[in-house]
Amino acid sequence: MAASSFLCNFLSFLLPTKPPPTKNPPPQLSATSSTQHQTRKFGDRLVPLVAQEGQPSSTSSSLSTELSSVIFPSLAYANTLFFKSAYNVQVIVDDNEHEERLLNRFRREVMRAGVIQECKRRKFFENKQDEKKRKTREAAKRNRRRCAHSSQDSHRKTSRIPWQTRRKKRIIGIYLKEIFPIERILLNLL
Amino acid sequence: MAKPIPRTSSRRNGRISSRKNARRIPKGVIHVQASFNNTIVTVTDVRGRVISWSSAGTCGFKGTRRGTPFAAQTAAGNAIRTVADQGMQRAEVMIKGPGLGRDAALRAIRRSGILLSFIRDVTPMPHNGCRPPKKDVCKNKH
Repeated sequence: MAASSFLCNFLSFLLPTKPPPTKNPPPQLSATSSTQHQTRKFGDRLVPLVAQEGQPSSTSSSLSTELSSVIFPSLAYANTLFFKSAYNVQVIVDDNEHEERLLNRFRREVMRAGVIQECKRRKFFENKQDEKKRKTREAAKRNRRRCAHSSQDSHRKTSRIPWQTRRKKRIIGIYLKEIFPIERILLNLL
Repeated sequence: MAKPIPRTSSRRNGRISSRKNARRIPKGVIHVQASFNNTIVTVTDVRGRVISWSSAGTCGFKGTRRGTPFAAQTAAGNAIRTVADQGMQRAEVMIKGPGLGRDAALRAIRRSGILLSFIRDVTPMPHNGCRPPKKDVCKNKH
């Protein structure tokens, strides 16, 4: 344990100090983050190495950090410079956004992530019977929604892509979200 | 609310209060812990050192009223008022827990005039860890 931390120390000496990545979110944020970066004491430089061990929660694979540091070395620490903690949902606020709209956006993101439902489920222990009931209920809801949608769209001849492709797309999306968070921020802003 | 414990030698006793007031923090993090029974709002700096905190209970609400959104609103307002005169302009918001206080606290923070950079939900999710307590059926039967 001590050896590994010593190694981390040593490596962080060797690594060149990274300037904040060129593709930055709006300039105010980059200015504050850059000043933050400079005024940070040495002890925090361990953060990029250490924080990568405890990964952001929902969907990261263990490959993403090593892969990203090999393929895109300049972007390897971009994530950790901005997002040091694990989060479920993140909403980036621009200054002149209306209060209600911001709230609605946040609420929608949270609902999509299913945070509150998950919390309620985990509040009490659920035995196998209850779990089965819940799963069948959710599956029924999903199937009902899918049937309703497909019956509406059947006139338009939209072919439903097979689940393998859908899964692949989802994984790629998640991978991209991990590797290029900056792009997603910019896309969200635009 | 509680004073931070000063880790200084006896020689620097006289200078502690001035050191506390001189801390001007332009950017900070607001943590909102919204449980079903209460809402706690803590304002820290970006490294996580607490500047001030407030909760629905300390704002004078007791019992079931602490869990209401109005209580969360007052708690958030209270916490930010202490910090606004320390010169905090930008803040991130980290929201934890289910509870009615989430939206209300966010609304109060937005209205207080502090610029927000991010809003994050950091509710801790176990990857199927500890076993939660059993379903209390008896509680509703009273």
